[in-house]
Amino acid sequence: MTGDTTTTQETASAEPTDHVVELSGVDSGYGEVQVLDDCSLHLDAEEIVCLIGPNGAGKSTVLKTVFGMLTPWEGSVTYHGEDIGGMAPEDIVREGIGYVPQTDNVFGSLSIDENLRMGGVARDSGLESVMDTLYDRFPLLDQKRTAKAKTLSGGQRQVLAFARALVMEPDVLLIDEPSAGLAPNTAKDVFGHVEAVNDLDTAILMVEQNATEGLGISDRGYVLDQGTVRFGGEADSLLDNDEVSKLYLGG
Amino acid sequence: MVLDQLASGLVYSSIIVLGSIGLSLVYSIANFANFAHGDTMTIGAYTSLVTFGAIGGLGGTVLGLPFGFFVALVAGIAMAALVAVVTEKVVYDGMDLDSIGLLIASIGLAFIYRSVVQLGFGAQSTRYGIQSLRPIEALVPYGIRVTQHDVAIVVSAAALVTGLHVLLQYSDLGRKMRAMADNPDLARVSGIRTDRIKLWTWVIGAGLAGAGGAFLGLYSQLTPRMGFNLLLLIFAAVILGGIGSVYGAMLGGFLIGMINQLTPLLSDIGIPIGIEYANAIAFVIMVVVLLFRPSGIAGEAS
Repeated sequence: MTGDTTTTQETASAEPTDHVVELSGVDSGYGEVQVLDDCSLHLDAEEIVCLIGPNGAGKSTVLKTVFGMLTPWEGSVTYHGEDIGGMAPEDIVREGIGYVPQTDNVFGSLSIDENLRMGGVARDSGLESVMDTLYDRFPLLDQKRTAKAKTLSGGQRQVLAFARALVMEPDVLLIDEPSAGLAPNTAKDVFGHVEAVNDLDTAILMVEQNATEGLGISDRGYVLDQGTVRFGGEADSLLDNDEVSKLYLGG
Repeated sequence: MVLDQLASGLVYSSIIVLGSIGLSLVYSIANFANFAHGDTMTIGAYTSLVTFGAIGGLGGTVLGLPFGFFVALVAGIAMAALVAVVTEKVVYDGMDLDSIGLLIASIGLAFIYRSVVQLGFGAQSTRYGIQSLRPIEALVPYGIRVTQHDVAIVVSAAALVTGLHVLLQYSDLGRKMRAMADNPDLARVSGIRTDRIKLWTWVIGAGLAGAGGAFLGLYSQLTPRMGFNLLLLIFAAVILGGIGSVYGAMLGGFLIGMINQLTPLLSDIGIPIGIEYANAIAFVIMVVVLLFRPSGIAGEAS
């Protein structure tokens, strides 16, 4: 292990890129504690990109830094070429990026309908019609419009969390561990929803503990370790890479 | 006798409820126990006093209260809200404190509010200069001795509480307030401008406190300590109901006000506990309830 990264990203990084989201040389962290260390990665239109790696590698920190919950200490975060590093989440959501946190990702004391309305507070118009579309797509939400979100099962909550983020019709959806705490069958359903969302031309940057499943639905992936990208490339090539599977996929 | 106590309990509860709601709202959204809340009530009362003194009765009366009093009431609500918003912007917002730091800062602000009132009006008690009324004749045969003013307090409080309920449940602002109280991080992630919602929370919470203070002045009298003296009961009400829950605060305020006013019944049935223990009894009942429901009656077990 020489520690050399084997990223397949552009080696000649001088020319301007048209990546939807791009992190270059980002350092970031919580308070005094640095988590990301010279982290560079990108997301292109219509892609699903999966971040994998051990606990504490900084996967969720990448999402929080893109979404403005953390401000990059060094380096840049761009969205369609525009620097969004340090912009507040409530402004970033208006730019076209959505975020689904791993836990506490629904308003438990609000009804399903109210949760969706909260997802659309930044919309100027078209809230009702987009909500109708989402109810059509997720019939289980349609059946429980007036039920409180805390009455939903884990998998149903995850669907509501997606739907809440989709009310803004984002370009990019950041999803933090969609399968966390779910039974295998439910997790499979949730991954199905991730793919369905992606089919609507929403690019997805996803953190997933369940690396094999996560890469299975992804176009590309990155392996993060100690706050930096160790490997990056096509999802299939990562799954086939002996070193990646030995170190990070558990055999 | 019981009917009379229940009636006066209802009046007193109305005032406690108006105070409790704001304390609980601010706790749920600004995330600290605001010890200046009682003195915010005092500000409402004295603003009403000044306004009423300046504009007079304005002709007619409703429930024995001059029109001018209702204008003064609105002025009291507005001033309490304004002072709270300015305090949030100038003091709390600029200090970058955790909830304990904010709590301690609010104790300081409570002293400041009270001192300013006392500098302006002296420490002695005063009244609005509205003539006290005799109890409503029709109710006296039933042993109920309430005045039209008492009725006005209950009706106004009920209207304000109903208005708040409608706002919270059916308006966009109300939904955002509930969302923010539920999960502030997710509120920001959803695009809610949480700073604005916090300011509106101060406006509503302090406004209701201002109304409560104005009514408290009508119910008894005005002193610079009037709000602070009520604060402990209001805390008891909010904790009993479940701190952070607006509906819990309504219920807690109602119960604490009732218990307080029903104390004379104890001596009637031969238990030698005088009305000077009214507050103590309310606190004992609060403690007993918390032993069984540590998060309060309507509080979410966490």
